[in-house]
Amino acid sequence: MSKLSKDTAALLSEGTVKMIIGYEQGTERPRPAFCHTPEDCERLIFNDQCSNNLAVYLTKKEIIGEDKVGVVGNYYVVKTVIQLNLENQINLQNLVLMTVDGDDIITFGSIDEMQQYVDTHEPVPNEKVLAAIEKIDKMSRSERWEYWKSELSKCVRCYACRAACPLCYCNRCVTEVNCPQWIEPWASPLSNMEWQINRIMHMSGRCVGCGECAAACPLELPIGILTKKMGMDIKNTFGGWKDGSVLSTYNVNDKENFIK
Amino acid sequence: MSKIGVFICHCGENISATVDCERVAKSASEMEGVAFATDYKYMCSDPGQSLIKNAIREHHLDGVVVGSCSPRMHEPTFRRACSEAGLNPYLCEIANLREHVSWVHEKGEATTLKAIDIVKGVVEKVRRNKPLNAIEVPITKKALVIGGGIAGIQASLDIANCGQKVILIEKGPSIGGHMSQLSETFPTLDCSQCILTPRMVEVAQHPNITLYTYAELDKLDGFIGNFKATIRLKAKSVDYNKCTGCGLCTTKCPQKKIPSEFNEGLGLRTAIFTPFPQAVPNKPAIDKEHCNYYQKGKCKVCQKFCPTGAIEYDKPDEFITEDIGAVIVTTGFNVLKTDFFPEYGYGKYKDVITGLQFERLASASGPTLGEIRRPSDGQIPKKIVFISCCGSRDPAKGIPYCSKICCMYTAKHAMLYQHKVHDGESTIFYMDVRAGGKNYEEFVRRAVEEDHVNYVRGRVARVYEKNGKLIVKGVDTLLSAKPVEIEADMVVLATAGVANKGAEELAQKMHISYDPYHFFAEAHPKLKPVETNTAGIFLAGACQSPKDIPETVASASGAAVKAVSLLSQPTLVREPIIAVVNRCAPPMFSTCVGCFMCETICPYNAIEHEEIKDRRTGKVIKTVAKINPGLCQGCGTCVSFCRSKSIDIQGYTNEEMFAEVTALLNK
Amino acid sequence: MEEKNDNIFEPRIIAFVCNWCTYAGADLTGTSRIKYSTNVEIVRFPCTGRIDFMLLLKAFAGGADGIIISGCHPNDCHYTSGNFHARRRWMVFRDMLDFMGIDIERIRWSWVSAAEGAKWADVVNDTVSKIREMGPYTEYKKAAKFLEEEKIIHE
Repeated sequence: MSKLSKDTAALLSEGTVKMIIGYEQGTERPRPAFCHTPEDCERLIFNDQCSNNLAVYLTKKEIIGEDKVGVVGNYYVVKTVIQLNLENQINLQNLVLMTVDGDDIITFGSIDEMQQYVDTHEPVPNEKVLAAIEKIDKMSRSERWEYWKSELSKCVRCYACRAACPLCYCNRCVTEVNCPQWIEPWASPLSNMEWQINRIMHMSGRCVGCGECAAACPLELPIGILTKKMGMDIKNTFGGWKDGSVLSTYNVNDKENFIK
Repeated sequence: MSKIGVFICHCGENISATVDCERVAKSASEMEGVAFATDYKYMCSDPGQSLIKNAIREHHLDGVVVGSCSPRMHEPTFRRACSEAGLNPYLCEIANLREHVSWVHEKGEATTLKAIDIVKGVVEKVRRNKPLNAIEVPITKKALVIGGGIAGIQASLDIANCGQKVILIEKGPSIGGHMSQLSETFPTLDCSQCILTPRMVEVAQHPNITLYTYAELDKLDGFIGNFKATIRLKAKSVDYNKCTGCGLCTTKCPQKKIPSEFNEGLGLRTAIFTPFPQAVPNKPAIDKEHCNYYQKGKCKVCQKFCPTGAIEYDKPDEFITEDIGAVIVTTGFNVLKTDFFPEYGYGKYKDVITGLQFERLASASGPTLGEIRRPSDGQIPKKIVFISCCGSRDPAKGIPYCSKICCMYTAKHAMLYQHKVHDGESTIFYMDVRAGGKNYEEFVRRAVEEDHVNYVRGRVARVYEKNGKLIVKGVDTLLSAKPVEIEADMVVLATAGVANKGAEELAQKMHISYDPYHFFAEAHPKLKPVETNTAGIFLAGACQSPKDIPETVASASGAAVKAVSLLSQPTLVREPIIAVVNRCAPPMFSTCVGCFMCETICPYNAIEHEEIKDRRTGKVIKTVAKINPGLCQGCGTCVSFCRSKSIDIQGYTNEEMFAEVTALLNK
Repeated sequence: MEEKNDNIFEPRIIAFVCNWCTYAGADLTGTSRIKYSTNVEIVRFPCTGRIDFMLLLKAFAGGADGIIISGCHPNDCHYTSGNFHARRRWMVFRDMLDFMGIDIERIRWSWVSAAEGAKWADVVNDTVSKIREMGPYTEYKKAAKFLEEEKIIHE
């Protein structure tokens, strides 16, 4: 049995946690695993292909209930947990967060340790996404409009992107508000665009960049480009992610060149 | 189903000259939800208001739109009329057809169509308006006055004499401010301390005034009628309950060479000191920065000699919190020091002094006991040059404004010098002589005609020292820019009046605005000179802009009246334009997810945590946001931030604004 | 006013302004009788912080050719910090809109204080002439009327 399986099984058998959420081998790629017994833990794996953001389950009471759970997550899971804690969505007393770094299994004791890890282990950005962003940046404005209209016209508003995102935990999403109807509920190029714009604005400063939204989209729409671009812009303009939400704070010295 | 009444005002001809009011009324009557529409010449007049009231009653209107002048003019008028007719006043809105339409456009089709559009937008908004009730907030019947100069003293006395309680705090060890440093005041030349000290004593003895000296404002929380002030009482190292003010300690203190702030650096004081003999309270404090005990751990001489054992070292600063209803800021101003002026010696020349330093020389209780003597060698100067507008009216030095008082006090200084040194020669280099107050011009003429002060119109390019004299190089512009060079014994600079250091921090603590020069901002320069944009906080005196004593006293009394009018009301009625977090049925209880990022945004700390508990078990189901209606000022920033749209603001709800914007565009 | 078959197109512009500064400034423009174009219609908000970014998109979808957003100068907000939050929001929003190909040149942001009546008239006239030159925002309007007209090209 691997060290990971042994350690996690121990947590279960000691009764420290009621459930371990980790990754197991799926048909083609790893998928989330929910272990309730020490034997279940034998399925757990951890490698570069483990891309699901397990933190999405941490805000779902129907999955974790009031119990203490253990999570073996990747870099993005750790980053998400920090953000969720900032937003009062998780109880750190009820969480044992672990990750695997090479041969070591790291158990985080505090938010500071998580922040340390996040600061020092940033993964290499996805070249394809960066190239796509560059290509779009080079287009003229009307070319960009045509591109996005064309892509987003395919969207069927299944909201898989919303379901996959761990930071979309609102129990009533803005699209479900009908008085007033901010975003038209049917799928049309403009309303799909409004939905994406809204999603990005609500994510700004909070998005951890896990890319699960793009991975979840059944039509493989380029929405990962949007979150990535937004993250880059915010980092360049406001200097980083640690603020938690770029929109809930301000700096008297914010510089812009378009308000006269 | 809405039944809105639309009333289009002609405003005499102000609106009807460019807008076809009848047509607007007719279009309005065809709009969805409008039950009654009409136009009239003067809606704000009595018959106009009766028209509205009758229509409300006859047609059972549930909303009113008045197309008239700006809501900033008559919204209260029309809301009151609706209220009198039994319609909730917040169901009445104004369409601005005058300032925003008829006065800025030419007569024509486009103008009338725009008027119709605007009315339509407001109608659509009012269809979604909800009745609201004004919020009543209790008022703490106590005022806080910050700053113990003449403005603070006057304001405190005025409020106290109206029977209200006042707390007066002063940063320094004594009240009195700059007025206590003056020798004689213009235009009457009466002794400044003689008219000030009776007031100071009155403040100390008044039963309604609590005086804290050596105290600063640490924090100001809360809102109008309900402030909470945290005051830092700096440690004086002297127990005022035991101290009798005998002054023995000040004679025994070994640190005798500290430049005295009261004498503007021209005299010396000890480390344990009272700033001046008439100080109120007349008890000393220890200046920790210069005391042998605090700096080196030795001495303690004052404690040895104190007959009542009043010296107590190492006491920490004390913090007290007071509930306050109204605040008056009277922190005053300062003048630039001579080191600001490179052309006049960067402060190196001892005999180049400021006007305030001259006051100390001329003052009978000053370092030279009232004799005008050169600070360098103590000789009596035979020639003094006064330079007006040092720094003031000079955009290059960053001070484009006029400091107002300098022309008068320079004339006064020259006169005092001539009275004291009969054979002395005084020259004033000026740009203009501004003597606008009562008897001011006559005062300046006295200086010229009776005391033979020499007025030269021109600026001084340089002052430098040569063989113990000061060479003043100026120019006389009335003699075609003839250069004038004077070998003076003393040069007095009328330096600019500037805001106190720390004014910016204080303003930010209280959330009041300030201008680029750090003078505090009045709410309206003409009609609200003693109020700020922050409700409940008033201004008086030179902290708002440089002023002479009569104006300061007038503004202090004005601010006092504003404070008393607030404190004497039974409760404070506030507009109900506040944000509300929604609540709904279980199991959700509220769409709020408790992320509390709105809490970071609110400038008034109005967002609180509310635990929603299971009523049977007491277990906490979720924690959601709750807005304190007393603190919320209605800016709406939290509303547009909330991702789940759980907060809405009464009076500008999401539905109302959405309807107004879409109505303006739909045909 | 919809554009007709005239040669002159008259843009429709909505202005979102804050009550304490720009609305008062526009009042001052009126009191000073300074004239400006009729194309701009003003909607009053208590503070620029209250202006939801979705309202801008709704304005464009409703047929606006241009938008003006104006409030108090930094440090002058009646509510202390509303305009700072608004400024941040616009900085993020504007970059996002530009990336999506929405014409941000059609949105004019400004700070107009209660004393700047003349500036308000300038902002309005400036924006109107600029948008008049740019023409109607047809591509957005077409996308908004999807059920009637839109033809999408897929690669």
